[in-house]
Amino acid sequence: MLAGKVILCLCQDVTIDDIDRAVSLGYDHPETIKRFTAAFMGPCQGKACHDAILEAIAARTGADPSSLRRPTARPPALPVRLGILAGGEPADAPPGAGASAEG
Amino acid sequence: MPIPGVARGGLRRTYDVVIVGGGIQGLALAYELSARGLRDICVLEAGYPGCGASGRNGELVRSAFSSVEWATFFDASLRRWRDLSVELGFNVLFTPAGYLVLASTQEELDRCRGFAARHRDLGLVTELLGDREVRELAPALNPELVAGGVYQPDGGFAHHDAAVWAYARAAARRGVEVHPFTRVTGIRTDGGRVLGVGTTRGEISTPVVVDAAGGHARDVAGMAGVPLPTTTHRLEAIVTESLAPFLRPALATLHLLGYCHQTTRGELVGGTEQNVMEPATSLNGSLRGLRDMAQKFVRLIPQLAGVRLLRHWAGIVDVTADLAPVLGPVPELEGFFLDCGWVYGFMGAPAAGSLLAEAIDSGNVPELIAPFSIERLRAGDYIRESSLVVTLGDA
Repeated sequence: MLAGKVILCLCQDVTIDDIDRAVSLGYDHPETIKRFTAAFMGPCQGKACHDAILEAIAARTGADPSSLRRPTARPPALPVRLGILAGGEPADAPPGAGASAEG
Repeated sequence: MPIPGVARGGLRRTYDVVIVGGGIQGLALAYELSARGLRDICVLEAGYPGCGASGRNGELVRSAFSSVEWATFFDASLRRWRDLSVELGFNVLFTPAGYLVLASTQEELDRCRGFAARHRDLGLVTELLGDREVRELAPALNPELVAGGVYQPDGGFAHHDAAVWAYARAAARRGVEVHPFTRVTGIRTDGGRVLGVGTTRGEISTPVVVDAAGGHARDVAGMAGVPLPTTTHRLEAIVTESLAPFLRPALATLHLLGYCHQTTRGELVGGTEQNVMEPATSLNGSLRGLRDMAQKFVRLIPQLAGVRLLRHWAGIVDVTADLAPVLGPVPELEGFFLDCGWVYGFMGAPAAGSLLAEAIDSGNVPELIAPFSIERLRAGDYIRESSLVVTLGDA
């Protein structure tokens, strides 16, 4: 009975039941399930959960799991502080740790 | 069936109206046509509904523009946004948290003063704010960039995917067929009339075709032999991790050419433009664009320096020389209508759908969209709107 409560996406607390519900409503494509459930949209961007999510979609839709393409991975590969991308020092870096000339 | 409401069956051989493009424009138009009693309407979408710019935009909503043409049209849209969730029976998460057009210099504040005077004349509810008022409204902003601004209390933002889904479901309930993963390959015409479209799933006969193909609108118009004077550009955006509430209104900055808002989930979503918007059709973000956004948003909201970026993406828009949309019929080709050239298409969709549906149904182009004709582009009679935060390099 608790099987449906298994959390597949740890970032956004998306469960097997959430995937089943999305598919039963009509969101049965990995890209639209991403947008409907927020799976793939947390800090890990799906790296920890995409196999489990695609398997859950396949189990519910009857699709071959290998035929499902995970949503396009967007940069960055890991979350990056905007201050680093901006060329300044990261907010939690010790004074003088940054080496960028732009700020 | 990627979203609720899309057609499960095959294509029919004949429709009364075929809309090319299942983004928010095409879906809103289909909904409005069906609401006027038209039947046998088909929306053809090459991917899944909303996969283009409709799901990639900054999802902001305002009517506080500088020109009569933009302000009156987008005010009609803003009024529709307020009740859209109720009308469509689906929560589009429209959040009237306010919309601030930020001025960072005295010159920009003077421009904002002009905008506010125009808004008063047009009956729009906006306020000219000084630096102190803006700092109270948005304390997270870097005070060095706050000279004042124009504030529209009932502007805000909505959820772009939810709005697409809402229109698709509402249209489907009225009998509209939305066919995903169906690409248009040609448009048949004869003697100055539209006859039908070719698709990857077969031929369709129809007397009315609407080009609502977003970033691909020029290609679709070309299939009908209609040269569209547009260029395709890439716009980029970012989203951060979720944060406790720190920014209430939606925001556009004239000084930095950027826009952002904090979503109901707590993320900062926004984009910036650079002075040269180069033609591009790639959906890959660029390092240059990413650095521009990071530098500007950290400067605008210093606390963001320590906040993590989660995603960076891009979308394409097919834009006109004056960055205004192209709405309405094409004089030399009966049955062919344009609903394209959009940059502010998400916020404009409710009004565009309604008014273009009226034009198609009645044969008369409503006054609010008449300025956005293709004839203006052909004549070089451009609309002058000066509160935009996108720019063409030479505009």
